[in-house]
Amino acid sequence: MALKVLTVDDSKTIRMIVKKAFQNYNVEITEAENGVEGLAAAAKIKPGLIILDITMPVMTGTEMLERLKGDADLKNIPVIMLTAESGQDNVLNIVKQGVKDYMVKPFKGEDLIERVRKIMPLEAKAEEADDKKPGRFFTQVEDVVVLTLPAKVLRPVAVEVEGSLQAKIKEMAAAPLKKMVLDMGGVSETNVSLIKLIITVFQDCQKANIAVKLVANAKQGEELKGFQETSQITAVHSIEEARAAM
Amino acid sequence: MIGIQEVDLKGFVTKAVQGVFKTMLSVPLELEDPPNIESVTTGKHIVGTVGFAGAVMGNVSIFVSREFAREMTAAMLGMTVDDIGSDEEVHDVIGEVCNMVGGDLKSRLCDAGFSCSLSIPSVTFGENFRTESKGWDRHERYGVRNSHHSALMEVYIKAANQ
Repeated sequence: MALKVLTVDDSKTIRMIVKKAFQNYNVEITEAENGVEGLAAAAKIKPGLIILDITMPVMTGTEMLERLKGDADLKNIPVIMLTAESGQDNVLNIVKQGVKDYMVKPFKGEDLIERVRKIMPLEAKAEEADDKKPGRFFTQVEDVVVLTLPAKVLRPVAVEVEGSLQAKIKEMAAAPLKKMVLDMGGVSETNVSLIKLIITVFQDCQKANIAVKLVANAKQGEELKGFQETSQITAVHSIEEARAAM
Repeated sequence: MIGIQEVDLKGFVTKAVQGVFKTMLSVPLELEDPPNIESVTTGKHIVGTVGFAGAVMGNVSIFVSREFAREMTAAMLGMTVDDIGSDEEVHDVIGEVCNMVGGDLKSRLCDAGFSCSLSIPSVTFGENFRTESKGWDRHERYGVRNSHHSALMEVYIKAANQ
């Protein structure tokens, strides 16, 4: 069963950093923006861990912690406090309140995970679903590997594709396979992440002596000509056309 | 206890801001002396501010161009500038950076005997504006920069018994 973690912080930025820190673990994250929302969420979901900011509007983390400790159902939930203040008095106050640990901002996600691991075991995520598996973008048509991009290529997708591309290129070298088609025909929007990804694919394939052809529709082909980095790439309109040209 | 004039405000603030940028944004900053005030007060820019009150009162602000603020947001949230959904995300990041810098300054002031509390950060944005405040014991500005952008820190502070 997933560990329920409640992150209580008025800053969406910090909540996102906490969420990202736990992304590789079997953890269900619930977010709250202040102590009042945090208490309500804690009572409802009974989390296994609370990551609690101190300075928040409506109800501070300190007040929320006092109320947690006064509630028989919630008082044993381990709490890690987050604070921007490293002063001696502040740290002493936090320790006195009976929290399991505290972290002074700025901090890195991996530092948070390290603190959590000192309190409780964290289970890595189970085998990923098909749509999350590395290599899910790649198929093979005879001796050609086809890299099919999803409809939306934002930065996280681009990073994922780049990561699995390296592994695929190694596989291709071992096979050996020397041809790749990059199919962006299903991409709905041309953006900088997409352009950077196309360049990376071409450069990495070139380094590995893999021939690569780009498949794009007519509109996309025109858009690519508008970017200096991709203006020299000639796109074809189908995988068959790409294979025939290799 | 030392007096408010002896507090090493420049050291406290610049080390705090360099620490925050390095840890949260992986952006190393170097001191820029004199600070490049023009670059962060002309054009579109964003100012994050936190106040502190107690044995000392004052506030610390960080000024950055909108472009730098967006790059900071992308670095902090692990995305590209193009992927930023709205200005709300940018403002939240600037507020949080300011909160961390203010929190560090507040801690050092408390450790030096100037007990005080910190406010929630506020964020102001606009074009071609400068701010000025009067009646403080100390008013100082410090500049930092990376390879492309400058940032300005401004501190106003006074002892509460005056």
